[in-house]
Amino acid sequence: MLNVLSRAIMMGTPLLLGALAEVYAERAGMMITAIEGIFLMGAWGGFVGTYISGSAVTGLLVAIGCGVITAAIYGVITVYLRQQQIVTGTAINILAAGFCAFFQRVLFGIPTTPLQIKTLPKLAIPLLSKIPWIGEIFFHQNILTYLVYLLIPVAWYVLNKTSVGLAIRSTGENPQAVDVAGMSVSRIRFLTVLLAGVAGGVAGSFYSLGYLGMYTSGIINGRGWIAFAICFLGNWSTKGVVLGTLVFGLADSISIYIQALSGGSAFPNELIIALPYILTIVLTVFRKSFNVPTQLGVPYSKEN
Amino acid sequence: MKNKIKDVVLFNIGAVVVGLVISACMLLFMDVNPVTVFSKAFLKIITDKYTLGEVLVKATPLMFTALAFAFTYKANLFNIGAQGQFYAGATVAVTLSLSLGEALPTPLLILVVLVCSFLAGGLIGALIGLAKAKFNANEFLVSMMSTYVVDAFMDYLLRTFLRETKGEYLQTDPISQNAYLPNIIPGTRVHLGFLLAVLTAIVVWVLLYKTPLGFRIRAVGNNASAAELAGIRAKKIYVIAFLISGGLAGMAGLTEINGVQHMLLQDFNSSIGSYGIGIAILANGNPIGVIFASVLFGLLSIMGTTMGRMPGLNIPASIIDLLQGIVMLCVIVAYFLRYYMEIRREKKKLQKASVEHA
Repeated sequence: MLNVLSRAIMMGTPLLLGALAEVYAERAGMMITAIEGIFLMGAWGGFVGTYISGSAVTGLLVAIGCGVITAAIYGVITVYLRQQQIVTGTAINILAAGFCAFFQRVLFGIPTTPLQIKTLPKLAIPLLSKIPWIGEIFFHQNILTYLVYLLIPVAWYVLNKTSVGLAIRSTGENPQAVDVAGMSVSRIRFLTVLLAGVAGGVAGSFYSLGYLGMYTSGIINGRGWIAFAICFLGNWSTKGVVLGTLVFGLADSISIYIQALSGGSAFPNELIIALPYILTIVLTVFRKSFNVPTQLGVPYSKEN
Repeated sequence: MKNKIKDVVLFNIGAVVVGLVISACMLLFMDVNPVTVFSKAFLKIITDKYTLGEVLVKATPLMFTALAFAFTYKANLFNIGAQGQFYAGATVAVTLSLSLGEALPTPLLILVVLVCSFLAGGLIGALIGLAKAKFNANEFLVSMMSTYVVDAFMDYLLRTFLRETKGEYLQTDPISQNAYLPNIIPGTRVHLGFLLAVLTAIVVWVLLYKTPLGFRIRAVGNNASAAELAGIRAKKIYVIAFLISGGLAGMAGLTEINGVQHMLLQDFNSSIGSYGIGIAILANGNPIGVIFASVLFGLLSIMGTTMGRMPGLNIPASIIDLLQGIVMLCVIVAYFLRYYMEIRREKKKLQKASVEHA
């Protein structure tokens, strides 16, 4: 049981990171539909950087670089060239899949044994990790998870209590007002996209560096989209996103637990995997208090 | 109008060429000469009948998923759940083919499977449309999530009721030969589904541009509130557009199960949904354009496979994704350039007119 919960927290780490960035971007009116591609580039960059240099820090930096470049391409096309976000994201996701697989082959050929890197070690926080239950679940994780713990209050504070947060939220609700106030809508939007690139890059690298210790082309397998869905599920708020991540994280680890336990019996294990998606649909359809930014996905042009 | 279509075609061809050149340059990283590899692959495709046929085989399901995206796109709606609707159609197609495979004569059976796979995809589409119409839910998100739900349901069926009798892999038994879509070009794998896809594209074009329903759909797409004022019930249109869109994606289930794979597998054709979006964009949402754009994507994908099979070069099959991704991005940028040029042309015209006036 403790294992299941601890695993839920671990699997939730990259999802929460991605979802928080998605909240920032969507509050500014930008759906990061390229998030799947950004995650993948992060996972690949993290692996390549670590494998070649032997240092996880370099790997993390390369992952961030890859994430930012991917996000920048997305940002230039959607913000400055004002093209459809959904369509552009689809193209970038396909491109990222091709790019990673292709350059994996260019760099490493066809290796006879899978290329391994050391995963980030689990760190037990002194004192806190000794608390029964809670210590086991929350404080036996790797460094990225702790980073995300710290990030949650910061993300909430900046978005809700600072002028930067206000500017971001206004950009998604009333870009004209932001424009009149002398700020550049395009720049704010582009910066939130880059932020999503940083967060998505780190989140992606979690899968290669923090979890698998290797890179495979199916390493992300829709998890970027899960982060995207969590943002909707969490009603575009930092608190909601934390809850949403727990729902998805729990569903993920419970279904793995049941699969291992039942060994493929008739129990509809798939239902548990589908449950968070069903919940997202149900909430999207029936929830009354909707925080959806009015200008979500709408390109802004000064002339109109 | 004529001029505009010419512009679209010219810009898109330009974008495809630029995209191909960029991806060809990527081959330099593998220390191979892109010109020889591309021409060799191209030569192989046009000289080998079987490989040429594969282009059409690949293009067939893409036409359906692209039409699915294009159809709602005309109503200014986003159906990005074509993958799930395709899975729904495929699941129904395989179930019917397995259970009725021997009982009905082939033409009747194919007809039944066709109608039911359309309805299966259409039902999922209609539910999404209903969520949009009744609750003003974000159809983009709902359609996307629906794919995961359908996928999980399909996995469940594959693990339990539909699992092969051997019980080894997550796949169904092969369907009876009686349920196969007939081959139309001997010596290739091209099946009747290709003709069906082309025919469907033409029907969709007629539906969109020559019927009152199509007019309503496009009117809602242009300006939903103006359409409402003109007496068109936008909400009804949402449901109908999504029903047809989902049904179109579902039909790909028929062509892939009864035409190509002859069984249902886990994660089967897992990217035709997203390629469909790219194709619809390349075709500017035009159903007739979809036919050509799908064949182009089929060609790109077979070119990728052919290059991957060339001995001694070690080119990964993933060159397909690289190729298609780059081409899609180039097409999107070309959209912007075309729009930009149009605006400039109009501005110049205005300036000229005002000077003459003064």
